[in-house]
Amino acid sequence: MGELAAVVGIGQTKYASRRGDVSIAGLVREAAGNALEDADLGFKDIDAVVIGKAPDMFEGVVMPEIYLTDALGANGKPMLRVHTAGSVGGSTALVAASHVQSGTFRRVLTVTFEKQSESNAMWALSSPQPFSVHLNAGAGGYFAPIIREYIRRSNAPSDIGIMVAVKDRLHGARNPLSHLNLPNISHQEVEDSMMLWDPIRFLEACPSSDGACAMIIANEELVSESPKPPAWILGGAMRSEPTIYAGRDEVNPRAGRDCAKEVYAQAGISNPRRQFDCAEVYVPFSWYEPMWLENLGFADQGEGWRLTLDGATSLDEGGDIPWNCSGGVLSSNPIGASGMIRFAEAARQVRGDADQHQVENAQLALGHAYGGGAQFFSMWVVGARKP
Amino acid sequence: MSILLVQFLRVEGLVEDLFLQKEYELGFTYTRSTGPVVGKFLTGLKNKKIFGNRGSDGRVIVPPMEYDPETFQPLNDFVQVSDAGMIESWCWVAEPRPAHPSAVPFAWVMIKLDGADISMIHHVVTDEPSRVVTGARVKASWIDQPVGLISDIRYFVLEK
Repeated sequence: MGELAAVVGIGQTKYASRRGDVSIAGLVREAAGNALEDADLGFKDIDAVVIGKAPDMFEGVVMPEIYLTDALGANGKPMLRVHTAGSVGGSTALVAASHVQSGTFRRVLTVTFEKQSESNAMWALSSPQPFSVHLNAGAGGYFAPIIREYIRRSNAPSDIGIMVAVKDRLHGARNPLSHLNLPNISHQEVEDSMMLWDPIRFLEACPSSDGACAMIIANEELVSESPKPPAWILGGAMRSEPTIYAGRDEVNPRAGRDCAKEVYAQAGISNPRRQFDCAEVYVPFSWYEPMWLENLGFADQGEGWRLTLDGATSLDEGGDIPWNCSGGVLSSNPIGASGMIRFAEAARQVRGDADQHQVENAQLALGHAYGGGAQFFSMWVVGARKP
Repeated sequence: MSILLVQFLRVEGLVEDLFLQKEYELGFTYTRSTGPVVGKFLTGLKNKKIFGNRGSDGRVIVPPMEYDPETFQPLNDFVQVSDAGMIESWCWVAEPRPAHPSAVPFAWVMIKLDGADISMIHHVVTDEPSRVVTGARVKASWIDQPVGLISDIRYFVLEK
């Protein structure tokens, strides 16, 4: 992994369905400015900028990074754009981290964003192509049959997804940045919400959000120049696989398992459920919590749903391994930033800086993102203690 | 079908008869949130006014920029500039094509408006191309019902 690096600053915008008050530049600047303030630094202290977002077709601005240079203080500095579909927020953080871990740069600003109100991601993901049936299915339509297969394999009770939807919204109600604020959401309300892509109901799906997330990653030498506790990066990994290949297991993708294995090896994790204090995992549709609990080794095959059922992943129920204390993707989803929010929220936990959704004395946390047809994975492990 | 036959048809320009190839159009109406700086400029155009803003080095930038190119700080010091100015550089288009902003011969121009320090791109329409030179004075010709777009300035004309 190279040299030690740590998160020394985190900045986010408030997530909302529409940030009509700012341009794209204004949106990314808000997050970058908040991260610099959190780190007690200015743009002059930054050596390079790494930016990420989901496909350009989402806003219809091709290569937006070019016009965002001065909004991010990158004039005269190296600037790099990352893209790996929905996992881009995570992979952008990892590229920024490796800029520092390699010893090439001492301190890097990394920013991700999406302004979904400028467009319609569902259209962008399922644009009508000639000579094939137009399903207009979006991500939900793609994942629904995979979830159906998970339910069949695992014999999970049919309302596990509803439980995740309620749990993550209750977590989100603790987070003032959350797009959705639903402190009174009920099991019945989720169950009664419109069936969008059977078995995914409206309230079991993520919202469409505008927002940006930024982090400052510094090398060991510069960590002490920022006043708040750092989140040490103990491991980072990415894995990819094709959308379709013979024998592919879409329910439990090999790239996800391999990525987890790699990042756990780097960070010395042999029992994720016991060793982690919490995790921020990319769950855009409710059933992905039990599916990723298994894919990431927090539960045995076919047993992930039991953790949800038992409240193990709930902060409100005092679970032993709370997942998505910030409210997760189910509460805020500026797609390009969603992965970085997971990484940043994991870091906030081990910095002891997560306010109302803080896991008490969190020392070790997992940040996770996935994208494409569940084929791109990025993960990092952050800790309060310097290794 | 044999590869040799496909190659033959390709050479003869007949391969498209074998494998369908067809145009298709993909379109979507996006939204643009212009924010407080570009939005200020566009709202000004709607009132037939042109706004720039002052950079950290004192220069007046038109159209205004959101962030200072030197200090990266937000630029909020708006300055109204004239709708008349001077040609800094130009490119004459004698035979406009359909995609051009003018159906008659015109010049792409960099115009430094009076009160501005940075020149702005627009176009000049004139039937006296020899008068389109660096240093020539031009003035905006506004459309009757401005809507808040750069095309509210129909074009610039040479001052007498």
